[in-house]
Amino acid sequence: MAEDFFLADDLLRQLMSVGEVDLLVGIFAHDAANSFGPAVEAIEQCARQDFVRERIVIVSVGDGDKGPDSVGEQSPGNLLEKNVRAPGITSLRTIHRVKADFSDPPSHGFALRTILSAADLLRARACAVISPATCNLTSGSISNLLRPIYHEKFDFAAPLYTRHKFQGLLARNLLYPMSRAVLGCGIRELYSDEWGFSGRLATFCLNQDVWNEEAIHTRPEAWMAISAISSDFRCCQAFLGEKTQATRGTGTDIVEVLRQTVGTLFWCLETQQPLWLERDRSQPIPTFGPAHELTLEPTELDRHRIFEMFRSGVTELEPVLSSILDPETHAEIKNMVSLEEGKFRFKSDLWVRTLYDFAASYHHAVINRNHLIQALAPLYRGMTHSFLVVHADSSPAEMEAANEMLCAEFELQKPYLRERWKTKVEVKS
Amino acid sequence: MRETILQGLEQVYSNLGHMIGEFLPRFLVMLIIIAIGLLVAFVLKHILRAALRLTKLDRVSEAAGATSVLRMAHLPPMTELLSRSLFWVTWLCFVLVGLSVLGIASLQEQISRLLRFLPEVLVAILILFLGVAIANFLSRAALLAAVNAGHASARILSRAIRFVIWILAITMALEELGLARQTVISAFSIVFGATMLGLAIAFGLGGQELARKDLERYLGSSKKEKEKEPEPL
Repeated sequence: MAEDFFLADDLLRQLMSVGEVDLLVGIFAHDAANSFGPAVEAIEQCARQDFVRERIVIVSVGDGDKGPDSVGEQSPGNLLEKNVRAPGITSLRTIHRVKADFSDPPSHGFALRTILSAADLLRARACAVISPATCNLTSGSISNLLRPIYHEKFDFAAPLYTRHKFQGLLARNLLYPMSRAVLGCGIRELYSDEWGFSGRLATFCLNQDVWNEEAIHTRPEAWMAISAISSDFRCCQAFLGEKTQATRGTGTDIVEVLRQTVGTLFWCLETQQPLWLERDRSQPIPTFGPAHELTLEPTELDRHRIFEMFRSGVTELEPVLSSILDPETHAEIKNMVSLEEGKFRFKSDLWVRTLYDFAASYHHAVINRNHLIQALAPLYRGMTHSFLVVHADSSPAEMEAANEMLCAEFELQKPYLRERWKTKVEVKS
Repeated sequence: MRETILQGLEQVYSNLGHMIGEFLPRFLVMLIIIAIGLLVAFVLKHILRAALRLTKLDRVSEAAGATSVLRMAHLPPMTELLSRSLFWVTWLCFVLVGLSVLGIASLQEQISRLLRFLPEVLVAILILFLGVAIANFLSRAALLAAVNAGHASARILSRAIRFVIWILAITMALEELGLARQTVISAFSIVFGATMLGLAIAFGLGGQELARKDLERYLGSSKKEKEKEPEPL
């Protein structure tokens, strides 16, 4: 067994009483305490419908303040009794519940480490992590994550959702194409609240010496996906349907989201550099269900404000951007600021060069890394504005084609990143 | 008469010989001390440079913004600066010790005064350097926060923060050196107080509308504005 020294005695006692299991579902209980009950119900239903003969454990990690739906309020014995009495019950096994409570809400990284330790200790074959923050989580969604791992022997299952065409633009324009081109990681939803993994991958990740890294604390899922791909574990994507999310702390605070996602991605580029500096092409990832689904309802977005924030950001941050960007790239961006809003377009080749400049500058630490990520926000807003204008009337197929072209541009310019990565960047004062 | 002159010359010659006999060994000792100092300083410089490279100080310095400050002042990177500083400080100490061996009373007094003053000069330089680095870091943090929050006067805020920290650092450095202590403290109080009062008046009278908008945005409608941007994830 891997490191288990940080598990509390009470948690160890609970795990030892469970014994070996086939499936483990971990819940970040502190994400949305009110939706905790429905999430547990969904897991139980998933067990009754699709994993009748399997031994299952639900591990909830939280701060012990979850109200009446708390998983720990019902002992395994009571649960069995409840299952027997429930109409249409088909599960032949006890669904065990284990509760890991901490005095303060644990970070996602720490919560994941606890779940991985439990999976390792219980020798679980297939595991899934879910968040009660996803309001419309169904038993089918959980089955879709567990099935490829348990039956098809995949090691990592990333989710795919039905999206509004203007939702998830950071993932669409930055995280997915960049991670696909640079790391060979063709996972669309690199940052998600639900994902599945094998016991083998759990043990592998648990043994990595990264758990004290800042990047792991907030969004460990991207690191797990990238680690799986870089270490030749079998990865896939599973379609989960539409995603409705409860309001969470970050909301659409762009800076915070950038810090959590792009910061982690750049950190992964640094830790995985021996791999991607050599690798050229990305590997296609098998997908269960539709590869993507877009909805087209009208939305109320303030394009003018987004453009103004881009314009003022580029102007005000000129000294900061000049220390991050290549002079040519910076000059092109400054030229764009003077364009009228109607004529403004952020060209994909410029966007790619901008991001590669940011990644290289992050690597060379030309300025404080947190500041560097924050300086990306106005440029992301510029790209967002351009995207909203260009795709105002686009169909899902056209948007997908445009996304593929962006991915190709990222791959085409990968030598530029390599060059900038290896060359020491001169800091302008 | 001739004998007296010869005796005088002999006396002078003997005194000169005596003086040279006394001075020359001391001078040689001084040269040896300075040469040893040069060697010790050279060795220490290389040891420190290697140690600092191992700790990747240059990277930390770049991340903190200190390297760009050094570049602005046409100084070498942090590792090189510290190792060269150690070289010169060590060698200077040996030179002063060597000079004191000569036994010239007035020179010894000046040397001891200089040695007493040297730590204060070094501390003052350190205060100035830290002040400039902190000012750069905080002003950039304020600039980024203000720009991303959509404030119109982000650069003014950033410059104001930099200016206040510079003034504070210069005041502290001058106080450390003991130069016109009362004047410096009074000048700082006046400048700092005047700046704050000016900002308060400007914001209170000239920026009522801006303050109202900012407060409204902060207290009530910030969420609404954020919702007008597409969800990034």
